[in-house]
Amino acid sequence: MTFWKRLKYLLPSYRHAQERDMSEELQSLAAIAEAGELGNLTRAAEEARAVWGWTWLDQLYRDVQYAFRSMRHNPGFTATAALSLALGIGANTAIFSLMDALMLRWLPVHNPQELVQVKLRSGSRVETPSESFSNAIVAALAEQKEIFTNAGGFSGAVFDVGPRGSITRVPGAWVTGGYYETLGLSPALGRLLEPADDRPGAPLVAVISYGYWERQFASNRDVIGLSITVDNHPVMIVGVSPRGFQGANVGAVADITMATAALPSLEPAFAALLGPGNFWLRVLARPQGGVSVGQAQAHLSAVWPEIAERVISKGWPAAQRREMAESVFVLSPGGTGYTYLRERFERPLTILMAVTALVLLIACANVASLLLARATSRQREISVRLAIGAGRGRIVRQLLTESTLLSVLGAALGVCLAWLTSRFLVDTLSGAGFHQDTPIVFDLTPNWHIFGFAGAVAIANGILFGLAPALQTTAIGGSRVIKDDTRVTRSRSGLLSSLVTAQVALALLLLVGAGLFVRTLQNLLNVDPGFRRDGVLVVNLDGQREGYSGARLREFYSALLHRVRQLPGVVSASISSHTPLSGSTWSEAALPKGQSLPQRDNAIFIAVGPRFFATMQTPLISGRDFDERDQGAPSVAIVSQAFAARYFPNQSPLGQYLSATVTSPPSDLQIVGVVKDVATSNLRLRPYPTVYVSYFQRASRNDALVIRAAGSLSQTAAAIRKQLQPSFPTSVLEVHALTDQVERTLVQERMMTSLTGGFGVLGLALACVGLYGLLAYSVVRRTREIGIRMALGAQQRGVQWMVVARALRLLIVGAALGVPAAWVVSRWLQSMLFGLTPTDPSVISGAVLLLVMAGMLAAYFPARRATRVDPVTALRAE
Amino acid sequence: MDLLQGTLDMLVLRTLIIAPLHGYGVAKAIRNNSGEALDIEFGSLYPALKRLELKGWIAAKWEISEYNRRVKLYRLTPAGRKQLRRERSEWADFVSAVARIMGPVPEERE
Repeated sequence: MTFWKRLKYLLPSYRHAQERDMSEELQSLAAIAEAGELGNLTRAAEEARAVWGWTWLDQLYRDVQYAFRSMRHNPGFTATAALSLALGIGANTAIFSLMDALMLRWLPVHNPQELVQVKLRSGSRVETPSESFSNAIVAALAEQKEIFTNAGGFSGAVFDVGPRGSITRVPGAWVTGGYYETLGLSPALGRLLEPADDRPGAPLVAVISYGYWERQFASNRDVIGLSITVDNHPVMIVGVSPRGFQGANVGAVADITMATAALPSLEPAFAALLGPGNFWLRVLARPQGGVSVGQAQAHLSAVWPEIAERVISKGWPAAQRREMAESVFVLSPGGTGYTYLRERFERPLTILMAVTALVLLIACANVASLLLARATSRQREISVRLAIGAGRGRIVRQLLTESTLLSVLGAALGVCLAWLTSRFLVDTLSGAGFHQDTPIVFDLTPNWHIFGFAGAVAIANGILFGLAPALQTTAIGGSRVIKDDTRVTRSRSGLLSSLVTAQVALALLLLVGAGLFVRTLQNLLNVDPGFRRDGVLVVNLDGQREGYSGARLREFYSALLHRVRQLPGVVSASISSHTPLSGSTWSEAALPKGQSLPQRDNAIFIAVGPRFFATMQTPLISGRDFDERDQGAPSVAIVSQAFAARYFPNQSPLGQYLSATVTSPPSDLQIVGVVKDVATSNLRLRPYPTVYVSYFQRASRNDALVIRAAGSLSQTAAAIRKQLQPSFPTSVLEVHALTDQVERTLVQERMMTSLTGGFGVLGLALACVGLYGLLAYSVVRRTREIGIRMALGAQQRGVQWMVVARALRLLIVGAALGVPAAWVVSRWLQSMLFGLTPTDPSVISGAVLLLVMAGMLAAYFPARRATRVDPVTALRAE
Repeated sequence: MDLLQGTLDMLVLRTLIIAPLHGYGVAKAIRNNSGEALDIEFGSLYPALKRLELKGWIAAKWEISEYNRRVKLYRLTPAGRKQLRRERSEWADFVSAVARIMGPVPEERE
């Protein structure tokens, strides 16, 4: 009752009525009472208002109003402070929103916090448990009803959708029968996939995403029962998944979802994925109510040996089978879904979060300096207010309101800034996608996580950096300041100097970090990969899907190659089983004849056609290239320098024989040539011993054409696509540049370089603004002193030097603090660097140099202003 | 004489049980009824009236006084009557407890 009346008081109309009523009542009483008998009526009314308990709100309102007014009257101050904070908070929010999307957002499913991701820790993978499982294991997990209500496996896919001739590639997923039930989803339309759909021989059915339904079928409800062509097979749509759900694979949209049992029909070439030896599904499970993660893990450990007996491939070597059977299950929280990006970007993002925190610190120091400087100019006003009886707490509260309001304004701008730049952030990541045509999709629209984060940062910042100036201004007894304020300013300018020194040190830290990443990228770009990447096009071929196999497949590919060679603009063309840095390699055992084969693979194999090395411009060191002779016996091989150096030290490998099992029929390989080392899987790794075999001496699978073009790469690519696409009626032919393929291995480095570089420049700019502010402020404060000096005959250059020397002192002290700090902190980056140590002297000295140059630029304007001081005016002002 | 803390509300309620009064009237009534011993400042009384009104123990209404003036009169509500009964019995308990301790003092010996 009382509570509601109090709440009602917050209504302006009710409050105004109350006010009017009160003043009327007091007037009427004053008319009755004898003069002076009622005492101070204003005070009585004030205390009566307090009865409602909203005095604090009223005061806050007035403080905010006052703060707004004073912000409006100092537009320069407000703009500088708010912009500093907007940049600082914006940088933090942007990185945080990416982190949020990648790691913190719950999947839009039923009680996501209950879900667990199943992993397996084996003897050889203690650090990072394996996340992939075979179909048989997923099925066995789903049967453990004592601990799981259900479990579901899933894997990303790209489907070729549409009738022959007009095919589009649509991102999708293969899932096991328990997938949707585990997630606890209910369909927007029709039904979702069930265990019955995941049995061999089940009809081919698919569930489509809500977004795909809207885009492709205009939200038509008749879509249920419709047959679409997926991978050249008719597939019936049975349901639409709920709005907002894009699959359990975070960052990769699954528009079409099908049961794994359909895989052999759709993609016969990959039917083996369902076998017990293939670990290709990620697994989410939902524990039964009341079963803890520990209990579930214990139960799995107990039943695993018996299950392992059934589900581990019989084809594996005994040692591998034993290692698998002795592995331990690990259940980690799974409510945020799975993405391979998480493992890859967790560390870079953590580093970027730390980097942006430093940027924010620099920005905050700017705001603190501004507040301090402003507190000085308001000292007189505050002293007067203290002197006439304002409570110190009241004034501190009001100053804090101002700084917090400033922070909130900065945060609001920052969130906008972060949102505007989020597109760019996602773009820096999307190069990391598995397929070029399945972009990484992240929803970076600000959610309550992000508003909460920015808000918390803003308020903490407003209080933390507003408190020092507020306490300092109000600390001095009133009367003393009104008389003389020189002593105060001295201690305050000491605080200002240390703030600027800290900014300089932090900026140096950022510059060193950025320098390390820039140099790492440079070093990687300068690595000689053993081939020339510009001007080369790659066409991935899948002839099996078009119905070719065996010798016919090889003939088909040869014919394609022949046709491509006739095209204008094509300098040379060849074919190979693997292209460098494509992400897939083929490794097997190979040794000089006579030595016994070891357990582990020890060479990378690549099957290449004639003129492959010429096309890639990989130099032939000795011997000859493959040519048309190498179609039947004898089997021949070309080895890389690394292979030659390892297995044929101090002798020529030419004419020697290798034992290998790669050719059909198996036979020893005679070495006919040696080529330069090529980076096959990673630019960072030293080239691995590599054996090239003749393309025509082994069974063809999914191969690629490599084409060196002269002139416009995009025109040639278009010509190739036009020429070859008719031969691939059931799929979409991709023609991409080799440089793109190389770039994809550098996504993380590029991201780190551009972001740490950007934040480094931002931090430096903010620190320079701080330095400039301090110097400009001190020149103004010392106008009289400078005037006297000049009147006494000081040279302009001397006065200038006074300012510059101050700047240099600050820069040197800042650098002296920053260099050791960088020394310590940069070790943390070690694993991400390439070709240099974290304490690379050229990076550190370069950063210091850049800092000093920027600092001098910042000092230039105040120094020039100092020389413009007119002694006469300065002295007359006294 | 200073007022014991917390007794002002009780005094106001007790005063209003006789007849509705305006704010100034309450102050005067307390002064008169206490034989001029309790002189409550209007600055304290007025917020107390507002507090009691918020709690629903008294209600206010604009009326025309006997001198033909427009005044705001406060009267006790049923809830206020109940509250007064409660406060009176608490007060009685308090007084008798204090009285038991503060009973006649035996002659002190020098």
